[in-house]
Formats: sequence, structure tokens, C-alpha cells
Amino acid sequence: MFHNSSQRKYWIFKSEDEVAHMRRKANQKFRNKIQESGKSAVSDSMFLERHEEDVLFRHYERRLLDFCNAFKPAMPKSVVGTALMYFRRFYLNNSVMEHHPRTIMLTCAYLSCKVDEFNVSSTQFGGNLLHETPAGQERVLEQILEYELLLIQQLNFHLVVHNPYRPMEGLLIDLKTRYPTLENPESLRKSADDFLTQAAMTDAGLLFPPSQIALAAILNSALRASLSMESYLTECLGLKEDKDSISKMYDSMRRMKTLLKKYELPKADEVNIYKPRLERIHAQFASSSNKRKRGYEDDSHVAKEPRLVEEEWTDEDLM
Amino acid sequence: MDDQGCPRCKTTKYRNPSLKLMVNVCGHTLCENCCDTPLRKSNFRVQLFEDPTVDKEVEIRKKVLKIYNKRDFDFSSLREYNDYLEQVEDIVYNLTNNLDVENTKLKMEQYQREHRDLIQKNKATLTREQEELEELLLLEQQGNEQRRLDVLQDEQRQLQAKRKNKQALLDELEQSQLPATILLAQHKVRAAQLETQIEQQKQTVKPTNLFSTGIHMRQTVSLVAVPKVEDVLFHYKPLHVETYGPPVPELEQLSRVGYLNHVRAAMPQDTAGGYTSALACHRAIQDAFSGLFPLKG
Repeated sequence: MFHNSSQRKYWIFKSEDEVAHMRRKANQKFRNKIQESGKSAVSDSMFLERHEEDVLFRHYERRLLDFCNAFKPAMPKSVVGTALMYFRRFYLNNSVMEHHPRTIMLTCAYLSCKVDEFNVSSTQFGGNLLHETPAGQERVLEQILEYELLLIQQLNFHLVVHNPYRPMEGLLIDLKTRYPTLENPESLRKSADDFLTQAAMTDAGLLFPPSQIALAAILNSALRASLSMESYLTECLGLKEDKDSISKMYDSMRRMKTLLKKYELPKADEVNIYKPRLERIHAQFASSSNKRKRGYEDDSHVAKEPRLVEEEWTDEDLM
Repeated sequence: MDDQGCPRCKTTKYRNPSLKLMVNVCGHTLCENCCDTPLRKSNFRVQLFEDPTVDKEVEIRKKVLKIYNKRDFDFSSLREYNDYLEQVEDIVYNLTNNLDVENTKLKMEQYQREHRDLIQKNKATLTREQEELEELLLLEQQGNEQRRLDVLQDEQRQLQAKRKNKQALLDELEQSQLPATILLAQHKVRAAQLETQIEQQKQTVKPTNLFSTGIHMRQTVSLVAVPKVEDVLFHYKPLHVETYGPPVPELEQLSRVGYLNHVRAAMPQDTAGGYTSALACHRAIQDAFSGLFPLKG
């Protein structure tokens, strides 16, 4: 359950500032690493700034969402939610300059299918990479398998993600059972669903428990439909005496709404500027870890020769 | 064992079953056919372990322990003994992995020179102890032999008694004037008596004065009374899990309160496997309420 999960213990942060600070640290760490390794002619302007990294992150996050939505067989919502959460958590502690998002995003989807027990064989998964030849699909799959252990490591092996979809169902059931004041809770479902999908593209999952996100979704859609749900909180959830908690909950919901409002779709022209710079950084700096499997850092055994030479495949190969 | 072969001539156990892999001092395996010239044949030993480095370490350890043979009662404190053992292990490790071989050998020679007498004495005690052990083993074996012989002898005697009985019957049938039936009856009585005698013999415990653990029968062994431990009595407290949210109704209460009306009913295929709609409903409610309340403070 969420209350004794690793998500609550390690992956819920106090404020947006803390999250931003972690991302800054990751960016700085990569810069320091490159400076220290003393590669020739490294100018600071080559690196990506935080806001530039953000644009690219959101761009690839969108592509991950589209990939999951176009997946055959149809991916359940929880799998999509888990994949997005993995992607988000990974880039909390790592910079997009260090590991390219396009492989990481596919690895997140692949791992999420496994963890959520949505059984897809690797061939089936590769078959969903529509713009690749079968040989290209195999290449991509090899890369995914190489990155898998690294991803798991960077998630600190905390693989279970609690998504807000089931809490939302639970709240709807509870509303129908104990809150007759609200006549048709089903009418709230569609807009609550949209709220949740949008929330998955923000940092809400890193700041609030999934049940609070679900409650915010439902309250928000009730507000939109001009239905009042005040008494639900006080009566049914037993918070009549606890004014403090009620105000805190409203506060959290306001924060969530702000997060959703702040989200903007990545602009195509910005993306087109930053992407080539990202490619250049990767081409120049991602050399040393190429020959070994990612994640096997201190392995003392001799690294296997890769079966195929790692060719650089571009974004267009993906979708 | 099939995959182990001589690295030089590549013959394996598969191709030549009578192949014996030998280990040399440097820790590498070579078969008898092709040992290299700098390595002496006398230094080869039959490989006992699958990993030749293990064999090498075993050999080195034997040699080292011949020199460093102090025992635990030679030291005044546990800490010193452990330090000494660590020293020994360091030496073995260095020699096995070819680190700092010169220094280690020097250290060994120095130690040998300093403690020559002690080493000799310990060697002597070791041999003495081994002899004592061997004596004990011998005694035990002899005891076993003796017992076996006794049992055999008893059996022989019983067989003989039975035969004698039969013979006696035949003789009597020949010579005596009494009718055959009476003779037969007498024989039967005698046979029965013999049987009971044998049974009794089996029942009687041979008088000894030793328990099987070696303690004498009459010896009083002091049994120190086990000290009574005063402890607080255990009180059961039910487990309380903090869910940071409103209380969840029990699984059994769900239908009564009316939750189940709003969940998809279980189909016959589902109930066959043990599924009830209450399970899905309960899980949804649990997830909805878990972590709902903000943290205090």
C-alpha cells in the first residue's frame, strides 16, 4: 500500500524548490564530470542550461506518452503512469546530457511493462517501433537491454509506483456509496481522468500522494461542473474537527492546480534548437561507456564485445 | 569435469578419460603429457579442487602453517590470537596472489629463526596429540571388534545347542524304549526351554560401569542450577499500521454498507477462482484512503 511504500519514503519531496534543486545538482554534476575528465576544448556554452534541459525533457516525455498510447496491444493506464514516473525520477538525479532521453524513454516503457505485469515479449515491444526495419528494431532492443540495469540502479531499485488511477476509482465508489448529495458522480469521471493525465506530465507525482492527486482531480471536476463537495470532506472523511488538515488539503490542491496550469507544451522551434546541441554533446562525451554494458560499473570481469557496433540512430527512426 | 582440459595440448577428460590433471606450484593445471621445462615434475600434485587457485592456496597454506603453528592457548588474550591469525592470513594471501613475495618470504624466514624452539615444541605436541587420538581410535575399534565377535559366538552356541537337541532326539528315538510320541513331546519341551533361555540372554543387559558418553556410572557430575531469569510478562498488542488517511471499512462490512452495489459484480468464471467483487472494492477503497491526509506539522 502507499503508506508503507518506498514511494512515500524516498520519492515524495517537500516542495517544488527541492525538486528543482535536485535537477540543478544533476546538471552541475555532469558539468563537473566533464570538466574533471579534462576533455579538450570544453566551453561552458556547450552545455545545456536548466531551462533548455527542461524543454527537451518535456518533449521526450510527450513522445513517451504518444508511444505508450499508440502501443499495440493497448497499454493499461497504470503501465503508462509507471513509465512516466520512471522517466521523471531518472532525470531527477541525472542530466539529459549524460544519457540520451530517447533510449531512456523506451527503457522506461519496457521496464514498466515488466514491473506492472503487462506481458509483452521483447519482439512484440520492438514491433511497436513503427519506423524501423526489423534489423533496426533489434538494434534498439539491444540498446534498451543495455540501459535497463542502469535505469533500475538510478531508481534505487524502487520499482513499485503507486498511480492515482485506482484511488480515483475508489473515491468514486465511496462517493456513490456514502455521499448521496452528489447525484451522479460518474459525470465527474471524464474530466477527472483528463486532470490525472495532465498531472502525470507535471511534478505532482513527486510531491503529493496519489490519493491526494485523485481527490484533487475529483474536486476540480466538481468545481468545473459547479457542484459543491465541501461536506464530503467534513462529513465522510471525518475531518469535521480537523480544520488544520482541511486547510492543508485545500492548499495542496491549489498547488497541484498551479502545477497543471504552469505546464506548457514544448515549443517546436525551441526543441529544434536544443536537440542538435544535445546530439553534439552526446557525440562528443558519451564515448567511454560505449563498449561496456551500462550499469555494470565495477565489474571486474572482461566486458563482452558488443555483438553489433552501436550505431547512432536518430529520433526519426522512432516514430 | 568435461570442460577441464590441459591448456597446452587441449586433450580433455572427454577425449582421454584416463587423463589426470595436475596442479603445479604456480597454480596452473597441466596434464601429464606436456609439462613445461622450467616447472619440475616433482612439484606437481593431483588437482583436488575445480579451481586451481584453490589448490595452490591449499598447498601454500600447508607450508605456512608448518612454520606458524602457534595454538590458541599460547596467547594471553583473544585479541592477540586474532592478530596472529590475521598475520598468517595476510601471508597466505600475499603468496597466493603473488604480491610482495620477497618481503613475505623474508618475514617467514625471520619468524622461523626467532621462534625455532617454539615451533619444534608445538610440532612435538601436535604429534603427541595425534598419537593419543590414534590410540583412542584404536581402542574404540578394538572394542567394536570384540563386541562383534561376542555376538557371533553367542549365535554359534545357540545353533549348536539346537543341533545337539535334535541329535539327542534322534538318539533317543533309536535307543530308548519309550513310545515315539512321548519322546517327541519331551523334545518339544526341551526346545521350548532352549528358546526361553535364548530370549532371556538377549534381555539381560551386560553389566558395565560406563555410560556411552564415557562417564562412570558411580561418578557424580555436578549440575549447576540454571539461573532463573526474571522477565516482564509478554502482553499482546495488536499491530497498528499508520495509513495517513481515513479508516477503511472491513472487507466483510463492504456489502452491508452498500459499497458493492457500485462495483462490477463477479462473474461465475471469476468466483470459480476465489475472486469476489468485495476484494476489488476493498483494494480501491484502501488505495483511495491511503495517504489522503496531509502530514501533521
